[in-house]
Formats: sequence, C-alpha cells, structure tokens
Amino acid sequence: MNRNRWPIVLGVVLALSLALSACAPAATPTPQPKPATAAAQPTSAQAQPTTAPTAAQAQQPVELRIVWWGSQDRHDRTIKVINLFMQQHPNIKITYEFVAWADYWTKLATQAAGEGLPDIIQQDYAYIGEYTNRNLLLPLDDYVKSGVINTADVTPAELDGGRVNGKLVAINLGSNSQCWVLDVDAFQKAGVPLPAPDWTWADMEKAAMQIHDKLGIWGMGPGLWDEQIWASLYLSLGQWRYNADGTAIGYTDDTPYVQHLERMLRLEKAGAIVPRAEDVANYYGKSVEAQPIVEGKAAMAYFWSNQIVAVWKAAGENRNFKMVPLPRMEGGKSANYIKPSQFWSIAATSKHPKEAAMFIDFFTNSVEANEILMAERGVPISSKVREALKPKLGKSQAAMFDYVAEVSKTAQPIPPADPPGHNDIVKNVLYPQVADPVAFGQLTPAQGAAVLRKEANAILAKNKK
Amino acid sequence: MTVRAKLAAATPGLRGAISRPGERRRAAYRRHNLAGYTFIAPWLICFFAFTLIPMVASLYLAFTDYDILSATPHWVGLRNLQRMFFEDPRYWRSVRATFYYVMIAVPMRLAFALGVAMLLNTYRRGVSVYRAIYYAPSVVGGSVAVAVMWRQIFGTDGLINAVTRLFGIAPVTWLGNPRTAIWTLIVLAVWQFGSPMLIFLTGLRQIPQEMYEAAAIDGADAADRFFRITLPLLSPVIFFNLVMQTISGFMVFTQAFVVTGGAPLDTTLFYSLYLYQRGFDNFQMGYASAMAWVLLVVVAFFTALVFKSSSYWVFYEAKEGA
Repeated sequence: MNRNRWPIVLGVVLALSLALSACAPAATPTPQPKPATAAAQPTSAQAQPTTAPTAAQAQQPVELRIVWWGSQDRHDRTIKVINLFMQQHPNIKITYEFVAWADYWTKLATQAAGEGLPDIIQQDYAYIGEYTNRNLLLPLDDYVKSGVINTADVTPAELDGGRVNGKLVAINLGSNSQCWVLDVDAFQKAGVPLPAPDWTWADMEKAAMQIHDKLGIWGMGPGLWDEQIWASLYLSLGQWRYNADGTAIGYTDDTPYVQHLERMLRLEKAGAIVPRAEDVANYYGKSVEAQPIVEGKAAMAYFWSNQIVAVWKAAGENRNFKMVPLPRMEGGKSANYIKPSQFWSIAATSKHPKEAAMFIDFFTNSVEANEILMAERGVPISSKVREALKPKLGKSQAAMFDYVAEVSKTAQPIPPADPPGHNDIVKNVLYPQVADPVAFGQLTPAQGAAVLRKEANAILAKNKK
Repeated sequence: MTVRAKLAAATPGLRGAISRPGERRRAAYRRHNLAGYTFIAPWLICFFAFTLIPMVASLYLAFTDYDILSATPHWVGLRNLQRMFFEDPRYWRSVRATFYYVMIAVPMRLAFALGVAMLLNTYRRGVSVYRAIYYAPSVVGGSVAVAVMWRQIFGTDGLINAVTRLFGIAPVTWLGNPRTAIWTLIVLAVWQFGSPMLIFLTGLRQIPQEMYEAAAIDGADAADRFFRITLPLLSPVIFFNLVMQTISGFMVFTQAFVVTGGAPLDTTLFYSLYLYQRGFDNFQMGYASAMAWVLLVVVAFFTALVFKSSSYWVFYEAKEGA
C-alpha cells in the first residue's frame, strides 16, 4: 500500500512546485540580516556629505524601485545617475523601469491598484492632485525639515508646484515652459523674418504659410490640437478653461477656440501644417525624437522647453534652433506660465522612504549628478547647481536656460491643477469628439466648440458637492 | 489483511465500511481521483486565481463606480449600463468599428484560408514546405512585433507607399485616413489565415476521392464539384472555424492597440481597446467591467446564433446518410 501512495505524494510535490513557480509573483528578496560590524563604509558618507547616512544605515542592504517616462536621451542620462548613486551607496540597489509618456500612466495606475508602486515615481502636475487625493504619495515635509532633502539653495516658489493641500508631495525636477521651436535656417532660406517674443496666432499662421509656399515643407509640426493649446488660448486672455471649483467650463465665449479650429483647418488645407491624419498615423504618442522638425520636415514645432535638449540632440548640434514663447491671442497677454517640468515623488507604500529621499536629494543637489543630467528635465531648481552647470552648458541647454529666464519675466502665474475629470475630458471628449470630427470635416468648428462645452460640463458636474 | 488494516488506520472514517467490496472499490476510485486532481492542480490553481476569481470580481465591479486608484467601490446598480447605452457616443463608435471588423475580416479570412487550403491539398512534392511557409504568419500572429511592422509598412514613408510611388501614385496616409485605417487591420487579419487553413486542410483530406471521381464521370465540372461535394462535406469544419474566428474577432485588441490606437476618428476603436482605455487610461474600472460583461453577452448571443443556423447549412455524413 505504501508503494501505491508514492505517485500521489510525487504528484502533490510536483503540482505545488509547478503551481508556485507558475502563479506566484516573483518573491521580493527578503532583507538580509543586518551585519553586526558597522564600521566598514565611511567612503560613501564622505563622498556625499549632504546626505550623510550613518554608518549603520549604509550597511543595511536596501532595494529601491524607480520609474520615469521620457525620451531615449533621458533614459541614458538617468540610468548613469542611478549607477553613480549606487556606487556612492553600495548598500542601496536601485532597479529602474522607464516607458514613453503614452503608456506611463496606464502602467502606474495598474501598479497602484496592485499596491506595487515603485518607491520613487516621476510625477506630473496634471496627476499629483489625483494621486495625492487617493493617498498614494508620501508627504515629504519631514525629510525637507530634517535635511535629508536639502532645499537650502531652492526658492520656496520653485517647490510650491509640488504642494497639494498644503503638503509637499513632490520635488520639482526643473522649471519649464511651453515654447515654439523655430528652425532658423529654414526661416532664412524662405526669407521669413523670425517672430518677436510677443507674436500672435495670426503671425504664426502667416509664417507657416510663407515657409510652406517657399520651401514646400510643413511650416508647423503636429500638436496644435493639443489640450495645452486649448488652455493657452484662454490663458492669453487672462481666463482659465475651468472655473475655480472645477465644476464647469470657465470661459463664457467659445469664439477664441472656434477661431483656433478654423485656423487649423486653413493651415491643413494649405498643407502648411502636419495634418491631423498624418499626426495620428505617424507622430502621436511617439517620443520627441520622432517629430518632423528633427528631420527638417517642418520649420516650427511646439514643445515644452526642456524637450529642446532631446530634440537638438536628435537633430544634430549643427542645426540652428531658436525658442520663442507661445503665440498670443490678438491683443492678449503672454500665454506662457512657468511649470515644474516633472517631479520625483515617493510612494506612500515605500518600505525605504528615507533612502528614496536620499536619492531625490542626490538628484536635486549633486553637481556631479547634474553634470550628467545636464538639465534635460528643465532648469534645475538648486541655484548652486545652476551656477555650476552654466559654464558647461551645450547649445541646447544654454538656449533653454536663457528661454526660461526670459519667459519668466512676462509669464502668467501657474494656473490651478486640473480638476478630477480633466483626463476624461481630454481623452474621451477633446480628441475623439472635437478635434477629430472637426479635422475630418464631420463637425464645423462652432459645432466642435459647442460639443466640448456640453460634454465637458457634463463630466465636471460630478465635482459639484 | 495487513493492507486493509493499514488503510483502515489511515482513514478512520471508513473503518466500518471498508469490509464491503463495493465500498472498497469506491475508496480506490477516490484515491485515483485525488491523484488526478493533484496532477491538474497547477492548472486548477491558476484557473481560480487568474480566471474565475477575477471574473466574479469583475461582475461585482460592473455594478460599481470602482476607479482603479482608490480602493473603495460604490454600488451604482445599472448606472454603468445606462451611461454606456445612452450617454456615451464613443461606446457606439466602438460597437460599430467592431461589427464592421467582424463582419468583413472573419469571412474574408475564412475564404482566404479555404482557398489556400485547396491549393495545398495536393500530393505534389514540396507541398509540406509551402504549408509551413503559409502557416508562418499565424505563428507570429497576434504579436506586437508584427503589429509594429505593420505600422511601418503602412506608414506614410512605408513600404506600400514606396511601391505605389514607383507607379506615380501619390502617397496615402493609410493609418490616418478614416476610410483606410480599418482596412490595414483587416488585411492584417486576413494575412494571418494559418490556423483555419490547417483545419480546412485536414477537412479536405477527409473527403473521399471517389466522390470527385464519380462526379467527374457523371460530367460535373469544377464549380459543381466545389459547391456540391467540397462545401457540403466541409461544412462541419467551416462551422467550427466560423465559431472560433467570430469569437476571436470580437475580442480583437493587440493589432488596433499597436497599429492605430483607435484613431482616426475612432474608426478602429475596437470594443476591447475602448474597454482597456476606459479601465486603464481613465481609471474607470467599474465602467470597463460593465463593458466586458456586455461583450460576453453579445459574443454568446452571436455564437448561439451561428449554432442555431448550423442546422440549415451544416451537413454531417452520418445524419444525412450521404
């Protein structure tokens, strides 16, 4: 009888081992017991005096996960900085993931639902509200107070973008503003004068048309259907697209948006701008290196100022680019504001928040690290880092530093964070029900603007208390 | 006797019953079952963990406003269905795109598969090589790599436009034009005809050659032989392929996700893709779950419809007495 039971036992063992290996998520390595000798690692503490980990902490093996979005250029630079940090802190092991913007928030939401958020998360102004209201981010005030994250060289205004409900939940990685990138050589070749910093949309249209007529390339790249452009039109008029409590559209007059849509159609019809069809087929969701201005297929492009670094790198240092602010509305004010380009946040579920904070500090204050990063995420917030970088800046970084400094003189104050439902409006109303139908001729611009108002109001009405 | 004593000791509950032969046999069966269940346990555990429990959870979530970032779902009854059917224009666009795709891509793929299967249904030398070659696209079938390649082929600077340009035809924005975008996906689907083709091929091999010979002697031409012998005798296989392809057609996702992302104008916004966007882009997991269950009902309905219709066009040799 004993002999007959062997197959069962064998089966159970086999089954369990198979099941465990097949189903179980990769087990997190159990922290190894803390070594008793705590004297061995003074080098790392000396190398990085601002973080000053005590010897005991330096001994304890810690594993951190970090995630960001961005271009290939950013991936390369960030990985180098992570390796540098690990060299200086041999007890900390950082594993990283990176994706393009389009997939980033999907991935992050899934990880949030599974309570598996990485320790250090790159965050965006459009999302920190949503993440903070759901208690997914760790308040960092204590780490700033205790000096783990050193903010001695940072003005309070540069930190404030990362504050939600009075708590600091995210550290600004660089100051940023939207911009028009101009291909100076193409302008000269076409004999079109470079626009002034206070140019208007009419000027933009004229320049795009002229360049297209003379050179046969697109005057302007894709992206003018973008939600940020919609916002900028009203910002230039001193209004905001949503009302103060985020329960409805904030402007009463659709005309500026209707005129903008009409302008898009005129430009598309003339072939002076990347058409919507071309945009969705070849450019949407791709990283900035794939944009037509990089290959010289368009003479202008719309970007965030920090993206110039990656764009210029992909296009080649010999290219001649100039950055100017967004076009204004006729008779309007600046359509720009200074925005934290992105943030580092720490997940509320992180087991090693202190080490994560040390990394953020390193990223913010280490000159060595920033010499690798070279302001690719925007103008650094630490004045010390800025000073140290200035003599070493390449063409693109210098252009960005100058641009942000110049724009901040006329820029509007940063508008309030977008209300809940904004994401729904952009993805389910603005692009599919307004931009596309107008671009493909199913709706007139006036009908499109009316749909936007009606549907957006329906979504925002849920925010009424 | 020792055996029986040991068994009785191991299973005290059976001690009284063990002496009767019938009971003994039943206990033996139970042991066999235990071994059987243990061997399929890996599958069972995964089935419960990754299929059944998530399904039950999603049924519950379909009646809630669960958003993926916050942990507490609130019961909203049939509100999600109401929203879906009466307030969401994109929902109907996704239904339209999906039906368009299923109605066109599935018959075309089946016809293509049958055609190729008939070409390969000969006993010439090297035919097995061709079989492998034609099956290859299906092996790499739903993969992301193929979809990315498709994007390149139909891109504005892609292969198709490069070829048409040689003949002086102006380039077309295949993926950006609302009229052509869905056709790039249909062509992709038709190109992956391998698995129905193999099934057709085995079906064709089972049709007795004598029938064709007899028909030819009676003066039937090729068309007659195809419509009066091949199609009727193949109908059970066609039926099987139709059911399988319809179901997978309704669930199409990867191709649209990678190649077009639903654009332009939502003409390639397939149901599964929209469901995914609602769930993972907009975090509206409750709404997405409700959409998933509606899809299940729709697929079940159409599968049932095909089954019902089968009595009119599927012939089984035994029943018909052919």
